[in-house]
Amino acid sequence: MSGQLRAELLKQRSTQTTLFLFLAMFGLVALASALHVLAPSPSNLASRSHQLEVFEVGTRVGMLFAALVGAIAITAEIRYGTIRPTFLVTPRRGPVIAAKLAISGLAGLVFGLLAEALMAAMTTAALALRGIPNQLDSGDYLQLLAGGTAAAALWATIGLGIGALVRNQVGTLVGLCAWILLIENLLLFVPGVARYAPGAAGLALAGTPDELPAAAGALMLILCAAAVSAGGWLATLRRDVA
Amino acid sequence: MQPKARKPAQVEQTLPVRGQVEPVQRQTVLSCAALTKRYGELLAVDGITFLLQAGTVTGFLGPNGAGKTTTLRLLLGLAEPTAGEALVFGRRYRELKQPLRQVGAVLESSDFHPSRSGRDHLRTLALAAGLPPSRVEEVLQLVELTDAARRRVRTYSLGMRQRLGLAAALLGDPKLLILDEPANGLDPAGVHWLRTFLRQLALEGRTVLVSSHLLAEVAQTVDHVLIISHGRLLAGGRLDDLTGADRTLEDVYLELTAGGAS
Repeated sequence: MSGQLRAELLKQRSTQTTLFLFLAMFGLVALASALHVLAPSPSNLASRSHQLEVFEVGTRVGMLFAALVGAIAITAEIRYGTIRPTFLVTPRRGPVIAAKLAISGLAGLVFGLLAEALMAAMTTAALALRGIPNQLDSGDYLQLLAGGTAAAALWATIGLGIGALVRNQVGTLVGLCAWILLIENLLLFVPGVARYAPGAAGLALAGTPDELPAAAGALMLILCAAAVSAGGWLATLRRDVA
Repeated sequence: MQPKARKPAQVEQTLPVRGQVEPVQRQTVLSCAALTKRYGELLAVDGITFLLQAGTVTGFLGPNGAGKTTTLRLLLGLAEPTAGEALVFGRRYRELKQPLRQVGAVLESSDFHPSRSGRDHLRTLALAAGLPPSRVEEVLQLVELTDAARRRVRTYSLGMRQRLGLAAALLGDPKLLILDEPANGLDPAGVHWLRTFLRQLALEGRTVLVSSHLLAEVAQTVDHVLIISHGRLLAGGRLDDLTGADRTLEDVYLELTAGGAS
């Protein structure tokens, strides 16, 4: 098993994809946090809840990029055909998916932690720069970092599961972007549903106001990640490789 | 489905007696029994039965779309047969404990991530197979890619990609090699290199199954042929038995496959 994990880790490290994704995420979080703190009038940033809402974009971007890393871990193998040698080495396939879930989860963890750390640092600095009193306590920061990191790790496994089910790389990546950035926002028009969606559940975990309690968000997100990963796992075991 | 792996046909352990020619009974390395694969309406492989004995080099011939690649995928556990079975060393591929040490395969000329280096491609496979890193360097040397091993596969020529695929197949030093159209797209020097290389593998006593439609090339390299068309096995046997003084492999092939064409 450790061989499988090391193989998956090397796959992540040995292409430039992970680095490019990381740089893109870093740039986006920096830009978004700057806009969210520097653009609004000071009265719209005065309360604790206003300031917590600024964090939302960091969590969202962290989850999105974690999901993309997970999705690419499987769809790149299908796209470039390396899935064939991979399954020739490990024809039972289960250990391959298990290792991909573990390594993608780990990558999601790192992506989530760095996105939230950058978000927290940028926001704190920008508030200080504008002379707006910081209403956040260490508990808020801790929940952002811990919750956002956990949410991103879980979203990485969702990305992997969706990738294994959909298999087409572009379709998977576009679908994940659309879901996190667009569809979940449209769900806000359906009363009572939006808070239970996996993206909103991740925000709840990281302490965004007006979402589910953190524990409920964690439960929803874990259930969703488990269901999607299981679906991707079963599909991978059963389907023929073209 | 077989609940237990079948024992391969037992080898007669007869000592060679000088001056006496005994028909050598060899171990069965690979076998297909009524192997069938249906994709919806299309019957891609239609009840194919054959076996390969240890140490033979067999050309797997047929027109495009005849079912060669599908048969190889069924043999390698990448696809599940609709009916029948395909065994390597008496087991289904998926039941092999360390498949890379028994079977090496090259299915496509481009199963690489373009921005991964050749060496890293082999290292990912060696790690998953539990093979030592030194083995990666050995196979790189074997296919003459050591100097290019650090480069990303994107920069490789087609011939280099074919050789990297062969290197991956040889990682576990397998007794059986399965190659799908390895000569496709190679320049004459590449074809020559490949022919020499395959002969060397055969001399080492490995069993080789190589699909191709380059008949002249195949005739120079193999000792057995299998000819399929429309998913059915049309002929199989020793190359010498099928061809003769006035019948080339091409004659036999065209004669057999013409009937099924139209």
